[in-house]
Parts: sequence; structure tokens; C-alpha cells
Amino acid sequence: MEQDDADGSLDSWARFCSLSNELLGGDGDLSVGPRLAPVVADLCTRGLATLVRDYFLHSLEETFRNNAVKKFWQHFHPYCNASPVDRIKFCVKEHWPEEILSGALEDICLEKSYQEKCVLVLVHALQSYEDRTPKRKFKAVDCSSSLMPRYQLMVSSVLLTTLPLSFPEILNVYFKKKLEELNIIMAGSYESDQLGNHELFESSNTSDWHSGMDIDGQDVSESSCLVKNIGKVVRDLRCLGFTSMTEDAYSSAIIWLLKSKVYELAGDDYRVPVLGSVKKWIQAVPLQFLHALLTYLGDSVDYDSGSSGLKSPLASRPSSFPGIGVPSEALVRWHMRLEYFAYETLQDLRIGKLFEIIVDYPESSPAIEDLKLCLEYTGQHSKLVDSFISSLRYRLLTAGASTNDILHQYVSTIKALRTIDPTGVFLEAVGEPIRDYLRGRKDTIKCIVTMLTDGSGGNASGTGNAGDNLLEELNRDAENQENADYDNHANIDEKQAWLNSESWEPDPVEADPLKGSRNRRKVDILGLMVSIIGSKDQLVNEYRVMLAEKLLNKSDFEIDSDIRTLELLKIHFGESSMQKCEIMLNDLIDSKRTNSNIKTSLLKTSQTVAGQEEAEISHDVLDATIISSNFWPPIQTEDLVVPASVDQLLSDYAKRFHQIKTPRKLLWKKNLGTVKLELEFEGRSMQFTVAPVHAAIIMRFQEKSSWTSKTLATEIGIPMDSLNRRISFWTSKGVLTESAGPDADDHTFTVVDSMSDVNKNSIANERLAEYQMTEEEGESSVASVEEQLKKEMTVYEKFIIGMLINFGSMSLDRIHNTLKMFCIAEPSYDKSLQQLQSFLSGLVVDEKLETRDGLYLLKR
Amino acid sequence: MARGENQESQTGNVPAASAAAGPKPASSAAGKGAEGQSVVRRLQSELMALMMGGDPGVSAFPDGDNIFNWVGTIAGSAGTAYEGTSYRLALAFTAEYPYKPPKVRFDTPCFHPNVDTHGNICLDILQDKWSSAYDVRTILLSIQSLLGEPNNDSPLNTQAAALWANQEEFRKMVEKLYKPAA
Repeated sequence: MEQDDADGSLDSWARFCSLSNELLGGDGDLSVGPRLAPVVADLCTRGLATLVRDYFLHSLEETFRNNAVKKFWQHFHPYCNASPVDRIKFCVKEHWPEEILSGALEDICLEKSYQEKCVLVLVHALQSYEDRTPKRKFKAVDCSSSLMPRYQLMVSSVLLTTLPLSFPEILNVYFKKKLEELNIIMAGSYESDQLGNHELFESSNTSDWHSGMDIDGQDVSESSCLVKNIGKVVRDLRCLGFTSMTEDAYSSAIIWLLKSKVYELAGDDYRVPVLGSVKKWIQAVPLQFLHALLTYLGDSVDYDSGSSGLKSPLASRPSSFPGIGVPSEALVRWHMRLEYFAYETLQDLRIGKLFEIIVDYPESSPAIEDLKLCLEYTGQHSKLVDSFISSLRYRLLTAGASTNDILHQYVSTIKALRTIDPTGVFLEAVGEPIRDYLRGRKDTIKCIVTMLTDGSGGNASGTGNAGDNLLEELNRDAENQENADYDNHANIDEKQAWLNSESWEPDPVEADPLKGSRNRRKVDILGLMVSIIGSKDQLVNEYRVMLAEKLLNKSDFEIDSDIRTLELLKIHFGESSMQKCEIMLNDLIDSKRTNSNIKTSLLKTSQTVAGQEEAEISHDVLDATIISSNFWPPIQTEDLVVPASVDQLLSDYAKRFHQIKTPRKLLWKKNLGTVKLELEFEGRSMQFTVAPVHAAIIMRFQEKSSWTSKTLATEIGIPMDSLNRRISFWTSKGVLTESAGPDADDHTFTVVDSMSDVNKNSIANERLAEYQMTEEEGESSVASVEEQLKKEMTVYEKFIIGMLINFGSMSLDRIHNTLKMFCIAEPSYDKSLQQLQSFLSGLVVDEKLETRDGLYLLKR
Repeated sequence: MARGENQESQTGNVPAASAAAGPKPASSAAGKGAEGQSVVRRLQSELMALMMGGDPGVSAFPDGDNIFNWVGTIAGSAGTAYEGTSYRLALAFTAEYPYKPPKVRFDTPCFHPNVDTHGNICLDILQDKWSSAYDVRTILLSIQSLLGEPNNDSPLNTQAAALWANQEEFRKMVEKLYKPAA
């Protein structure tokens, strides 16, 4: 009996083996199925069901591995075995991964589907047995239902274990190529949609993608065909168990495409906003693609079904895409993911180029706006701060950059960052290094004041644009102030207060708690500028000097623009600090009046004695600027003997002034001002506007056509060296010639009369003339702020030396404090630490002091 | 000699007295208000005069934030045993200044017949011969000249007084004991 049983089972096992081999080996012939069933049933009754299953699977695996898998990988061998260089050649081929991939996939899937059918045959056989023997169900159920999943697992494990390393790469290339193709097609239709069917697109929110695209029939069919192809590949890959690898491949391809799209759109052009078009593109291309793909794969069928309960908070955003209708959850997630990535890419791109963007700030504001939106989304402000500071250090804060440029960039930075972050937290971080650097520059104050007052933005080369102009900033400030005043009256109503408190936002995390709350951190360009200098007094003082220089060199009394600037400065710095400047301007206004008054009265008197002074110069030509010298910065004086006729004119004028304005007296600063004169030679005349000294020199040549420099210097009352400096102006103009005089240092100057000589000279001296003129311009009539400071500081020099004698060495702080404490008699010490420091370093340069370990001591 | 000892004991009291009086000026100045204020003003103007005067070899400046305590510096005059040296002094003014002299002593150790090892100075104008006409500048100049012309009749440092006759040896001692101020 047992022997029989064993024989019977052996017999049926052998039959099962041959049948299954026939089934698997046959070419799509499933006719063995009916014959298989009784054998399987027989084996099952003998309790060999698991053995049947395992054997069957094993032979399936054998066959699959030996035929399908080998063939499948063989398709890719040429690529996998190629060197990296050759691989690129593969990538360049037009249909490369596409044809091979789809062919290989088709083959293997065919094979797989056949095998699946075989599995189904067995499953069927097992099931029919189970149906007949319900009591032994437990065992067979196992076999029949687990067969299919086991088979799937087998397939993917076989493939994955034999996977060549470069297969993901191939997939990646495939998706990239396909997406690019799709992008081109979509871009075309997207653009035409933009042009023609924009409204329709907007209104057809609920219609699905296909109907939305129907307008461009050809494009649609082309793109949907493409998507279908891709979908097929994806489905095939999925069914082979490459689900996650495929997803990786196409998502990285999408991201790659998105990145290149962002780069392409953003590029180096900062004058157009790109964020909007990037977003539109995301909706038009990758999302449409994903939608089509997901729909094709049947993944997105589950919209607004039970899964909505599981919606992640990320997807809670109400969104509907044009042309897609209600999006599936997966699509929403994709959308968020892609947008975030786009923001991040654009942000990185812009941050990297922030320096350039800020250089052309007013034009590049679209880029700034984009960056702002990106940062709001990503919150990576600190990245911006770090990268911008390092590029500032590297590119701007160097010895080669002019102070003007640094200041302009600073102003642009303030304006740009004000847009990005109105609270000023990041500006503070970014501005700190610039401010520190500017404090170390000597001409900072001067540049700031020029920027404040000069309409051209203070840029010497005239390239400063209107956006940089601090004067404009002053204007706006003034307007704001008016508005603010108005607000203060209106602000009382509670509604406004409530609105204000509603709009409160906490400081960004990066805010430095030490630097105070946002209320104190008002982003005010002028305030920031003043904070570079240290105190507004210094700025006002510098402005005063500059104003004095400007006013003294004016030959007319046109000061409207200066008055305007002064008024604006008064709003900003307060009336009292600008008082002296106001007096200076009033002096000019008074001068104009007094001037005309005196001139008319002088003219009357001269008419009464007419005829007598024919040769004399009329008072008409004289314009006096009468200043209240107490309120003006110290004025450079130089003795000068003006020609008698002019002197007469001046003293007449002064006398008349005294008569009108008793007890006030007029004291002439004869070296200041300008003289317009015309020189007449034989057959030619030349016009000049020169300083009085120059005029005095040339007037002497009316009496005598040749002078030696010594006698001329004594005549005019100026030292020799200064005469030599001044007279070279005339030689450079070709009016005088210089020849060796009786002494080595005594030269003879002669008037040039003949035309040819002049031409020769003027050509030869052309270059020299330019140089002379620039030097001439450098001569100022008002003592500069530095000079004033130096003069004031010399008083303290004695104190500093006195304390250093007694204390040996002292720190800057200690010197500063000691001066503050003991130097309180007239003139009391009122300088800032920075001023003291610069003064001390001056003393070090003069070798009066030396520094050691940050301490100052006397040089021995 | 006995007289000299007497002198010494007499002036030996001075440091104790000045130590006791040390914190007093500030508090009395604060207490007396207007009077203290006038002392401060006088000291300030003296400081100004001293800084602007620019006497070579003597200088002084208020120490720290208290204008009643000054640091002085005198340089040894050329042609004396003290040539090339520089001595630091401490001057303590009281609220009674200028009607009472300030307490003055050497901060740098000084080998001198009229200066003891603690730096106390025996100088008539700082004691009984004081007049309110004197000021910081004259005090400093007097001490500077005292270096070159000691009063050997009333020495605080008998060794120095004895050695004075031998200028060469004296010079060596001065140099040996001289510790220049930092």
C-alpha cells in the first residue's frame, strides 16, 4: 500500500514536472492547463501542494532568468560597458534610450505576462482542487492565493539582483529627454494659450486637461501621445518592480528640468520678474505631465474619495489648476514640492548674484521682489546675509573702491533690503561691515555731504542716478514727516490702533535681541548715514564748510537750491543745528540787497563828479558778498595788494557801507572772490574768470610789460613762492612768458603780444594748463573741517602730552575720559572718540607719540 | 644731629597725618560745596596754566577722576647728579588749598639728603614757609631745584647728606637706587 502510494506520487510528480516544463517552455500554448489540473489535484491530495508551488516557481524563475532577464539586460550592455566618454555619445543619439528601453520593456513584459498566465493556470488548478475539498481548505488557500504575489516578488528580486549599476542612469536620461521633448511641445501650446486662449484657460478651471487642450488639436495629440508612451514605460517598469527607481528617475528629471528652466528664465537679467512665469511654467508643463501620467497610471482616480480624510496639512491649500480641475492629492503634493524647489533655486541664484543686482538697484527691483517672495517662502534669510556679507567684503570693501561707490552701493543696499525685509533686521547685519569700513575712510563725511547737497548724486563722473540721490531721500523724508504729522492727528481713533496691533508681526528669528525691537529699528537712510559718521554735528559742520565754499565762489546771488536743501536738512537735523548755515544764506540774501543799495547810491555820487573819473572803473562791476564772519567757518586769509584803482573802488564801497549800516564796518577779504576780466592785445582779446590774486598779477602788467618775480611779489604783497605758483596760470595761458632773471630764483615775466607766440605756447602748455587748473580748483577759500579740527585739537595736544608724561602710557579711552574730565575750561573738550583717535594717529605720524599694545606713549 | 633727628620725627608724622587726611579732601569738598568748588576751579586753572606754560622738566596731571590727587613728574636738571633721571611725585591737595600746602612725596625712590626712604620731602615751602601765592608749578620747580641744591643742614637721609661732598660717589648711588617710572 505504501509502496503503491509512493509510486503513485512519484508517477504524478514526474507527470507534473513534464507538464509544467511543457507549459513554461511552450510558446504561448496554454492547452496543457486542463491536463495539469488532475495531476496537481492528485499531488495535493498527497499533501504535496507546497512542493508543487515551490517547484513551479523555481522553474519559472529559471526560465525567466535565463531567457527574459538576460535578454533584457543585453539591450543595455553597450551602454553599461562603455566608458564615461562613450556614454555621452549614447546620450546624444536621438532615439537612444527610448527605443531600446521601450523595446526591451515590451519583450520582458510579454514574457512576464505569459508567465503570469502560466501562474494563473496553476492557480486555477489549485483552486479547482480546493473547491472540491473544502475541509482541507486551509492548506491549499495558502498556495493558490500566495502564488501570484510570490511570483511578482520573484520577478523584481531577480531583476534587482542582476541590475547593472548604470540602469538608473539610463532611466534618468530617458526621462530627461522625454521631458525636454514634452517641454518644447507644451511650451508652444502654452505660449499660444497665453496669446489666444488665456481667458478660456482661466474660465475652464473645472474642465479636465484634455478638453482644456483640445483647442490645439495637433499639439494635444502629440503631447498626449508622448505622455502615453512615457506612461507605458512607467507602467512597464512598475510592473517589473522598479516603482521607486522610476519615481526617483522622473522626479529628478522634472527637478532638473525645472532648475534649468529657472536658470533660463532668470539668467542674468534682473529687470523682469520671473517668479510668475516660473510658476506658470510649473503649472503648464511638469504638472500637466504629472497629471497625465498619474491619470494614465490610474493613480489619481481616488480624488475626493475616502483618502481626503488623510489629507496632509501641506495639501490643505485650496488650489485648482487651470485645465486640470480638482487636483488629486498626489498632484497637490507635487505642486507644493515643485514650487518650493523653484523658490529655492531662484533664491539661491539671486542671492549668489545679489551684489550685481544691488549695483543696478532701481532697475533690478523686479529681481529683488522675486527674491523677497522666495525668502518669504523658504525662510533662508541667513543664507542671504552670509553670502552677501562675504561678497561685500570681497568686492566692495577694498582699498580700490572709491568712497563714493561704497556709499552708493550702501544706499542701494539699504533700499533693496528694505524691500525684502521691512523690519531692517537683516539690513543691520549686512550694513555693519560697510559702516565699520566707511568709518575708517577719511573722505566719508565729505562724500555723504556731497551726496546730500549735490543734485547729481555726488558722483564726480556724473553717472550717479536719481535713485542714489540722498537729496531725494531728504525730500521723501520731509513728505513722510508731513504724513506722519497728519497721522498723529488721525491716529487717535481706536480702529486704526486696532489695525496696527493686528498687523503686528514678531521679529524674525535672526533678530539680535540686543539691538532693540523693531520700533527703534526704523529703516531711515539718512539716519544710517549719520550713524556712519558718528554724530550729526560733524555732518552739519562739514556741510557748513562746503556751503561756505560754494557761496563764496558764487558770482551771482542765486541760492534758491541751497535754501531748499537747507530747509530739508532743517527738517531732518533740527532748526538749531542748522542755524549757522541759515545765517550764511541770509548773509547772501542781505548782500544782494545791500549791494544794489550801495551801488545805486555810489553811482549817483559818481555822476555828480562825472568826467573826472573816466579812466576809473565804474562801481557797477563790483559785487560784494557780505558775511557775518562769526557764523562762517574760518576763512583763509592772505595779504594782497590790489591795484590802486580797484582798491579805491573797494574803499569807496566800504565807506558807503559804513554810512548806511553804522556802526558796522566792512572789512574786505581781498583774496577771496572771483574777477572777470578781459585782456586786450594787439588784434585779439581774451576773457578769463580768475581769482583776485591772478587779476592783481596781470593788472601790474598794464603799467609795465615786464616784471621780475621779486619786485612783483613785493608789489602785490604775497610771498615769492605763492607768486610763482599763481603766475604760472598766466604763463600756461600763453599770456606771459618766463625767462631767466638776474638771480637764480628771480625770473622775469613778460607779456606775450604776438599771435604766433601765443599759439605755440598755448599748445605746448595745454597739458600743463589742465594740470594747473585742477590744482587751482584744489585751492579752497575756507579751511576744511580736518584743518579746523586739527587747529582745535592742538589745544588738547598739550594736555595729552602732559598726561602722558605723568602716566607713562594710556589707552585711547582713558585719554578721552581724562580730557573730558579735566579739559573743561575754554575751549572745553567736545570731540568724539573717533576724532580723538584720528588726531592721535596724526601725532603718531608726526613722531610725537607712539603706540604699543593699544596704548599711547610719548616718543622718546 | 639732634636737630636733624628732631626734624625727622617731626616730618615722620606727616605721612600718618596725610594718610588720615587722604580721603578727607574729597568728602570735605563735597560737603563744603561752594568752597570745594572754588578749590576745584583753582586746580583746574592751575592745570590749564601748567599745560599751556610748558615748563621743561616739570609736569603734573590729576590722577584718575579726582582732581585733588595729582601725579607730578620732574626731570633732574642738567649739570647735577640727577641729570638724565625723571622722578614721579604724588601731590595730595586738601579742601583748604591754597591756604594749606598740598602733601607732596616722591613716588619713585630718590636718594637725596632731604628725602627719606618713604619718599617724604623736607622742604620749607611745603611746611612752615607755605604761601597761598605758590602753586603746583612753583612747588614742582622748587623740588626740581632742591635736587641739585639740597639742604644738608637738616637731612632726612643722613647717608646721602654725608655722601653729598663726593659728587662722583653720590652720582653712583643715585643711579644705583634710581628705578625709572614705567
